[in-house]
Amino acid sequence: MVGLPYDCLVNPVGAVRLTFEKAVASGKDPATFDGKDWGATDLFREFLFDNGGLSQVPFLNPMTIKWIQSNTLVRFRGMIQDMLGNEFYVGAYKDGATWRTNKFADVPQFPMGSSSDMRIWERRLLYCVPVPGQNSWTQTSSEAMRNPYSNITSPYGEKRPREEITATTCDVDMQALDHEFEGSQCTKKMRGDGVPSQSTYPQESSVERTCSDVCMGPDFERNSFPCLVKIYDSVESELKLNDVFEFIGVLTFDPEVTTDKDKSDESLNGFFEDALVHLPPSKVPRLHCLVHRKLAIHDFLSGSHTLEPKSHLVKGVREGLLRHLTDVLGNDAVAAQFVLLHLLSRVHARVDSLAVGKFSLNLTSFSKETVSVFGNGLNLAINNLVPFTQCIPLTVDYLNSVTLAPRKDYQANRLVSGVLQLADGSHLTIDETQLQAGTLNSTGVDNARTLKNLVELQKVEYDFTYYKMEMAADIQLLIVSEGKSNILPADLVLPFHPSSVDSSEVVDAETLKAWRWYLATLRSLPHSIEPEMQKVVEDDLVAARQADRSLGSQDFSRWLTMGRLMSASFGEICLTLEHWQLVKELERLRRERFQGTT
Amino acid sequence: MDSFRNWPTFISQGTMLANVFCNRPDYCYCILPKNVVCKGDVVSDVVGAVYLFDSAGGCEVDVEWRGSVQGCEMPEADTMNDLDFTRDKDSAKDFISHFADANGEAKYLNILVIIPKRDRDNFFSQDVANRKYKAIQMDLEDLFSYKDLDEEFLTRVTENTRRYIGIFANAIDELMPEPTEALPDDDNDIFMTQRSEEGTENTDGSDTKQRMPPEIKRFYEVYITASSKGRPFTIREVKASHIGQLVRISGIVTRCSDVKPLMQVAVYTCEECGFEIYQEVTARIFMPLFECPSSRCMINRAKGNLILQLRASKFLKFQEAKIQELAEHVPKGHIPRSMTVHFRGELSRKVAPGDVVELSGIFLPIPYTGFRAMRAGLIADTYLEAMSVSHFKKKYEEYELRGDEEELIARLAEDGDIYNKLARSLAPEIFGHEDIKKALLLLLVGAPHRTLKDGMKIRGDIHICLMGDPGVAKSQLLKHIINVAPRGVYTTGKGSSGVGLTAAVQKDPVTNEMVLEGGALVLADMGICAIDEFDKMDELDRTAIHEVMEQQTVSIAKAGITTSLNARTAVLAAANPAWGRYDLRRTPAENINLPPALLSRFDFLWLILDRADMDNDLELARHVVYVHQNKESPALGFTPLEPSVLRAYISAARKLSPFVPKELEEYIASAYSSIRQEEAKSNTPHSYTTVRTLLSILRISSALSRLRFSDAVAQSDVDEALRLMQMSKFSLYSDDRQRSGLDAISDIYSILRDEAARTNRMDVSYAHALNWISRKGYSEAQLKECLEEYAALNVWQIHPNTFDIRFIDA
Repeated sequence: MVGLPYDCLVNPVGAVRLTFEKAVASGKDPATFDGKDWGATDLFREFLFDNGGLSQVPFLNPMTIKWIQSNTLVRFRGMIQDMLGNEFYVGAYKDGATWRTNKFADVPQFPMGSSSDMRIWERRLLYCVPVPGQNSWTQTSSEAMRNPYSNITSPYGEKRPREEITATTCDVDMQALDHEFEGSQCTKKMRGDGVPSQSTYPQESSVERTCSDVCMGPDFERNSFPCLVKIYDSVESELKLNDVFEFIGVLTFDPEVTTDKDKSDESLNGFFEDALVHLPPSKVPRLHCLVHRKLAIHDFLSGSHTLEPKSHLVKGVREGLLRHLTDVLGNDAVAAQFVLLHLLSRVHARVDSLAVGKFSLNLTSFSKETVSVFGNGLNLAINNLVPFTQCIPLTVDYLNSVTLAPRKDYQANRLVSGVLQLADGSHLTIDETQLQAGTLNSTGVDNARTLKNLVELQKVEYDFTYYKMEMAADIQLLIVSEGKSNILPADLVLPFHPSSVDSSEVVDAETLKAWRWYLATLRSLPHSIEPEMQKVVEDDLVAARQADRSLGSQDFSRWLTMGRLMSASFGEICLTLEHWQLVKELERLRRERFQGTT
Repeated sequence: MDSFRNWPTFISQGTMLANVFCNRPDYCYCILPKNVVCKGDVVSDVVGAVYLFDSAGGCEVDVEWRGSVQGCEMPEADTMNDLDFTRDKDSAKDFISHFADANGEAKYLNILVIIPKRDRDNFFSQDVANRKYKAIQMDLEDLFSYKDLDEEFLTRVTENTRRYIGIFANAIDELMPEPTEALPDDDNDIFMTQRSEEGTENTDGSDTKQRMPPEIKRFYEVYITASSKGRPFTIREVKASHIGQLVRISGIVTRCSDVKPLMQVAVYTCEECGFEIYQEVTARIFMPLFECPSSRCMINRAKGNLILQLRASKFLKFQEAKIQELAEHVPKGHIPRSMTVHFRGELSRKVAPGDVVELSGIFLPIPYTGFRAMRAGLIADTYLEAMSVSHFKKKYEEYELRGDEEELIARLAEDGDIYNKLARSLAPEIFGHEDIKKALLLLLVGAPHRTLKDGMKIRGDIHICLMGDPGVAKSQLLKHIINVAPRGVYTTGKGSSGVGLTAAVQKDPVTNEMVLEGGALVLADMGICAIDEFDKMDELDRTAIHEVMEQQTVSIAKAGITTSLNARTAVLAAANPAWGRYDLRRTPAENINLPPALLSRFDFLWLILDRADMDNDLELARHVVYVHQNKESPALGFTPLEPSVLRAYISAARKLSPFVPKELEEYIASAYSSIRQEEAKSNTPHSYTTVRTLLSILRISSALSRLRFSDAVAQSDVDEALRLMQMSKFSLYSDDRQRSGLDAISDIYSILRDEAARTNRMDVSYAHALNWISRKGYSEAQLKECLEEYAALNVWQIHPNTFDIRFIDA
């Protein structure tokens, strides 16, 4: 056999086993592998990244799961929601005189003869879900792709027996289903009045699709499509909770087996069944991860748009975006400036308990009426700009009932996700205008404290019953309230002064793309302050404090953050005097508003 | 898995038995052809299905073939021999009978049988032979220190523990002496007598099913405990390579099952031949026997019906629990792992959810059974078979130093500057406040509690109240102290009420009983209770604190329950001034706004003000800019000690209980009286110097001498205590001092002059002078300046080398 006798796409496990045999043939002793890689992942890395195989790998999502075959290469984008610990498996065994491996597979390929020699290796289980609050525009075109198998006759016929049989009966079902999906898509679009989203699921595939299974379709809905990822030989610290990753690996999915709960097991084990029982393979696909890579916000933008951050280009985009935000905010240019800075913020570093770079914004002076107009408009605008957004209506009932912080459920041995389990870089809008006077119960108090912690420290305490664990978060927080929010002490409070109502400006898709690219690129720019500028800043801070004793280190910190964001918004990596003056001017305008209102 | 042995002769049809044997007793698996029935398992319906057997000690697994087994390859019989194990059994026997502990007592032999009148503690009265004590703990440590044993034996025991438990049990069986006391007859004994009578009549011997397993005769359990040296594993660190090995791990118990009986040996009687048939159960699930396998029934082809005899079978107590990693062991960005633990026999009912425990046990796989086994492919679940449980204590007194820590502390103690070093290492990220940190360090160390002959108790805990403007890092200081203290409770005065701080009587919702529930102060018994927002506390709770702070108890008289709970805690309070910010136009007393009765209970009251100060502002601005620029805090100029080192040092220091030497009594008394006099002189007394102050001085001095690892309080300790108290006063009244017109230099001069006049001497040694002025809160630099200035005025002469002072008579 020359080259690759196995197709990495269709039969990845075969390819893995081939490399294993090669490794063994070259004199390596499998007994000493101890689960370490023998060159299989290199093969896939080469195939995916050097030979451009990545684009051929289908995405795993509720749409594609219907036609993707088991034991083929897929990719899944998701957030690590829970870590289920280790799994021990027979990694290598001797089939007669030859070594075989079970890595990246659930069942052995060859009958395990009468061999007695085997090695137990371990792999890690990660429970992944789609990124919470992911906006629909992020999964256009690139994710839903044509079925690459539709016209390939499989060389492994016996392995894919279900495929062709039900093709005709299925199609009817499938189309009905598709309509459902499109329907929900439409409602989403309807809400986005005036702002047309270019998101469309490709329609062409519904006919060609050969469906592999009938019964599982309705099981999945958008955003509740979990995947159990099995991770092999990677450094533990590489994959962290709430990280967003793309996992490329072998899909194993057994929809036939719906009820395989062992009767005897259940009666005996009582509550000690392991977590997997709650994740039957029929509901949760398994992915044996070959290659994983961490995703940044960039990866969620539709590909083609990669501009150089040239200053004149950036300036243009900035002005356009600022104008758009000003329109959305009823001609309040100052608020638009702050919102822009806010959207560019992220936590750059943690120094002691301080999260450097966070810039939570509290827009006050909203009333019930203005919220319905501007609040919604702002929300829509943000939804269209940032990939992951969430919105919390802060009411007493909500605080008293919802679980914000994730907690561990020891019955199921799972981490139960809370509203605040969000991926880094998510945007969270908290609408406080609906808050009425009322009594908080203990859940409510806890929730309020959790929110406050998040705003102040960018940390969420996960409840493990016997102790709490702080998890660092990086969430952009926008608080909309009538007066200054005391529950959620934001970094910056700004009274909102709209002057006009007509904000229906149509934005075309290209512009939106440019804006998204602008926000994603500029927020990760590095930043520095030159020594002479540093001197100016220090002097300004001292002078300000001499003038107003109430200023503290928090205010200083905020100004510096604003300075950074301001220069970043121009695509600069160095703080200039001009931008610093702009920051001070903005701050002055902000203070004026307070004097005006009080 | 290494080898099989004892495969049966081949029968092509029908049932046949195989005895699978391997020398990895922790688990063993065998590969079966299709349609094989395994005992305790199900029919294999895939060719080449592999079954893991969770088998105990002997690791002999019976496999039953049913149906055609043509083409089944039998594994090679292995020559892995019994001999090794027989030899090891002899080693074990030798060890048990000859091992002598530090006192020269035969530790294990003594456990087996009582040696009357010789024992000093009840350790020896644990009489296994007389069935008074059931658990025999073999300490691996002892095995390690036993001189006659070879290393390999030890390694084998650690890596193959389950098997060796059986070997040790066999060895003990042989060594077990006859009971010295008449035993109460129970069911088991009656059965045993019957059995031994029957046994003599018709012993087939050859039949494994009829041979009585040794387990059924045993009345004890053998545990092998891992060496307690070194750090226990975290759950995360237990890897695939540890399977079958003895490991020691720490964690918190999250769930516990009920204790259930687990069948260890199932006993059947045959309807046909009347024989008793024994079946050892090694897994949690077993397949009952239905046909009598005795030779008589086999020969007669009678297929005798078997009836399970529950009363004759042997059961073990069995409990399952889940443990989870401790929060401090979880790497950032990960969530704690958990592990299943099995407790058998005497170890059951030892843990409850929430306990922090250290376990030693054998890490074993549980095979999935039945259908799931096939679905799961070759995956095995794992659990820890517990061998010993010890609860983890977090009190200072029980803090055990690890080997390297002891050394480190000894080295630190020799360092002359340890006092400063420790103080600086508290909350290193908070800039400045050296004296406050010193005070906090003393709070952590504390002084010994004293109980007088008449039963009066004098507290040793040092209470501190920090008062200051908002945003001066009070809360951060509090939280840091709580982190360093092994037992600390952080609460806010506002958030806690009723049960929150002291204790409350509550009605249990399930049983409707009245339950006493301790609040933060009770929970912090023998530790530190940090109360933030002290000023915002309810008046009611504040009164409760009075009692806690001096009497160190919480008394309750509610709902028919009158009791008093211990609350031997050091209180660290933080409060804002009366009007939110310190108002310089008002007097300190007005600003503080806490009743004098409460204030006098604090050993230190510290005011942290946010003063308008160009230098401070610049420092702050620089700090913030630096943090933004470099994404880290500015270098501290020293490396702070790790909190764990701090904790270890403090716990070592707390073991001492220093006394005040006679010659110092006078010194302290005079210092106290001078403070009283000063207060009397001043027309606006700021402080409330009472006997409590004197006790404070003693407490602080003993805490200081604890830090030096000294048994006796030295004069330097007293001086430092007085200095700190003075500094704390200055933090409140420094403005007054400035207003009084005396600058530091002239103030120092007047102090020295007064002291000299008081003692009626013309010479003052430099060391004395330094003592006096530091008590008033001045620095050495200021003293030197003063000496030079006044020497130039010819008020005194300074010795050029020793800097001793001689006043020039005017």
